[in-house]
Amino acid sequence: MKKQVKVVLLAMVLLCLGGLLFAQGEKAVGVTGAGAAANLEASLKVDTSVLKAADGQPLLRLSSELPKIPTRPANPEALPDTDPLRWFDMEYAGWDTKKTNIPASPKDGAIGKRVVMIVHGDHPWTTACSNGAKKVADAYGMDLKILSPNWDLAVQNQMIDQSINERPDMILIIPLDATTAIQQARRINQSGIPFIFFNTLPTAEAMNYAITWTGPDDFGQMRKLAKVFADEMRRRNPGAKELGIAYVQHAPGGSPYFARSYGPLSELAGYAPEVVTLDMQAPGFEADRTMQLVSDWLTRFGPRLKGIFAADDSAQALGIIEALKKAGRDDIVVVAAGNSKIGMDMVTDGSLFAITYQTAEGDGALAVQTAADWFNGKELPNRRDIPQHIITKADVADFYPPQW
Amino acid sequence: MQRLYGVWGGMMRKNKLDKSKLLALGDRFRIYILFGVIFIFMSLFAPRFFNSYNLTTILRTVSMNATIALGFTIVMICGEMDLSIGRTATFAAVIALTLQKKFGYGISVPIAVLAGAGVGLLNGILVAKIKINSFIVTIGTMTILQGATYTITGGNSVSLSGDKVFAISDFLAKPLLPMLPPRVLLTILFVVVFHLFVSNSQWGRNFYMVGGNRTTAWLAGINTDRITITAFILSSTMAAVAGILFAMESSAATLNMGDNSLMYVVSATIIGGTAMSGGKGGILRSVVAVLSLEMLYTGTILFGFGNEVKIFISGLILALVVLYEAYASYKHEKTIGQRAVLLEELAQAKEKI
Repeated sequence: MKKQVKVVLLAMVLLCLGGLLFAQGEKAVGVTGAGAAANLEASLKVDTSVLKAADGQPLLRLSSELPKIPTRPANPEALPDTDPLRWFDMEYAGWDTKKTNIPASPKDGAIGKRVVMIVHGDHPWTTACSNGAKKVADAYGMDLKILSPNWDLAVQNQMIDQSINERPDMILIIPLDATTAIQQARRINQSGIPFIFFNTLPTAEAMNYAITWTGPDDFGQMRKLAKVFADEMRRRNPGAKELGIAYVQHAPGGSPYFARSYGPLSELAGYAPEVVTLDMQAPGFEADRTMQLVSDWLTRFGPRLKGIFAADDSAQALGIIEALKKAGRDDIVVVAAGNSKIGMDMVTDGSLFAITYQTAEGDGALAVQTAADWFNGKELPNRRDIPQHIITKADVADFYPPQW
Repeated sequence: MQRLYGVWGGMMRKNKLDKSKLLALGDRFRIYILFGVIFIFMSLFAPRFFNSYNLTTILRTVSMNATIALGFTIVMICGEMDLSIGRTATFAAVIALTLQKKFGYGISVPIAVLAGAGVGLLNGILVAKIKINSFIVTIGTMTILQGATYTITGGNSVSLSGDKVFAISDFLAKPLLPMLPPRVLLTILFVVVFHLFVSNSQWGRNFYMVGGNRTTAWLAGINTDRITITAFILSSTMAAVAGILFAMESSAATLNMGDNSLMYVVSATIIGGTAMSGGKGGILRSVVAVLSLEMLYTGTILFGFGNEVKIFISGLILALVVLYEAYASYKHEKTIGQRAVLLEELAQAKEKI
């Protein structure tokens, strides 16, 4: 036992000595003076507007529709789930923030900058997103390092710490969890490294510490999809006094969970009061589990079930359509978030009614472009949204080949 | 000439003994050797591995799983399995943060720790008294806890904000001594206490007795049920403590925060040399194994490899260790089977019959 204690103590001493001897992390190397001016000039000349995504659409597109921001209620959480203002702090997170300790832009250009991008997990969407990010990074000659914690919060926290240790010029991060993002944001902010949140919205408080946020306006997009969904259900069920629907939800915790359930729920409460929510479940992103869930719904609700709103147009949508086919229920309207190949193919064959245009490549690309703009000294808004669009059978062909 | 052969034979026997001793030592200290090799390799080759910030990060990251591994190792030494550790960590964290909003940490933390201990008590009673396989019991508990956590939170993460909460969070995360934040210091304290308890106390030695041979332990007068129940209580309590401390540092608890700890801790405990069959293992070995795995993971990230490489490497190490254990067990049994004295005794017994 004494030997073991000695070995462990020796190891601890080694660790401590190592730390003390090499206490300095690598410092970011910047360019100064004439070099900075030349770099900035060259960086400003880079034209990324010509870049294309895999689907042939322009890689970088910014939404021109700025939402009208209502007045925040005193206590949004006290409101019912069906009240759109109940979700104020999530839906409008970042539009009205009190920025804290934000580093000033070096205004020395984006060329040669070291950027660390921490995503949420391994997924075909993430691959497409990374591809888009790389396209812009390559255009600027940035050194882009992409890290994936594979949906593990502890690993994402660790990656943040390791990124701080590397002292990059910028960190881009998809927060794994909207609420936990506050501490993550504080930690990066305290290190003095500029960072940008992207894709998934953190809570409003976390946004105070970030330069900005870029990504899809998930709430806005889901509200649009909800209207299209209600219109189609009305068309298929003329004069119906009740339209029963169910939600296949996103993974609990992240902003898509709220945006893709409570966004449509609160929108439909006003737009289509005859729509009644029968159930909401988060079965994960496995087709078989979703199929089981939908089969249970069909047994439980029978003809009352008129529509299904899904948070994912790939595995979840596959499970839904499979369950409906087995039950012979082609009367049910199904819509889903995202535009994967699976989703687009199902829109083409008519089994899915509508999906949302959410460019994965554009998402990653916009985050890197925004970082480049910051290095170039451009004034940045509190949020940069990707344009919204609902894809139906009428225009799905325009979005082929799919990005993922 | 005969004498010369005698000396040579003696030397050969000595060399064989030395070799087997060396192998035994290597086996006994394999996790420390692995730790040393990984540490030196990463320090020399992994970019920015060997600096205080990174080493502090490693220690902070290790804290949660090392704390969970303390109790889990005891359960495995007892020859049982606790698959509910990850969910217990999440459950306790959610309770601590939810109640904090009303009562503050002073009340919420003890309640959450007690809730964790309660989970262990339930596991222990079902395994020791009702005699249900611990694998089945803890899978059940794991599922129940998941449902309970979702019910408490309504499917959402729990987060706290405000200066006081952030002050506690910052206190836990920032080093008090070089590279040692309070959360790490607490973990070291737990490790020392558990190591001394398991190695030096009669109660601690009883865990090995029960895991080694339950019947013999019972015949020796050990209350095996009580030992098993204690092991499960310690496992769940430490999982709860780990989850609570992680949540306090993050000021938030997510619904899957403990999920990855299960595989991590199980792998580290096995790699550390704790036998799944029970009766063999050690607290320090498990903790050093957790630390070694973490250094390996950090190194893969610093080398720029993706998460898939990290998973591959940890799987490979686990597979190699399990293979080695299986081979060692096979060899051990083969040696027993070929023992000359034993064969002689068996032959004599046969003759008598």
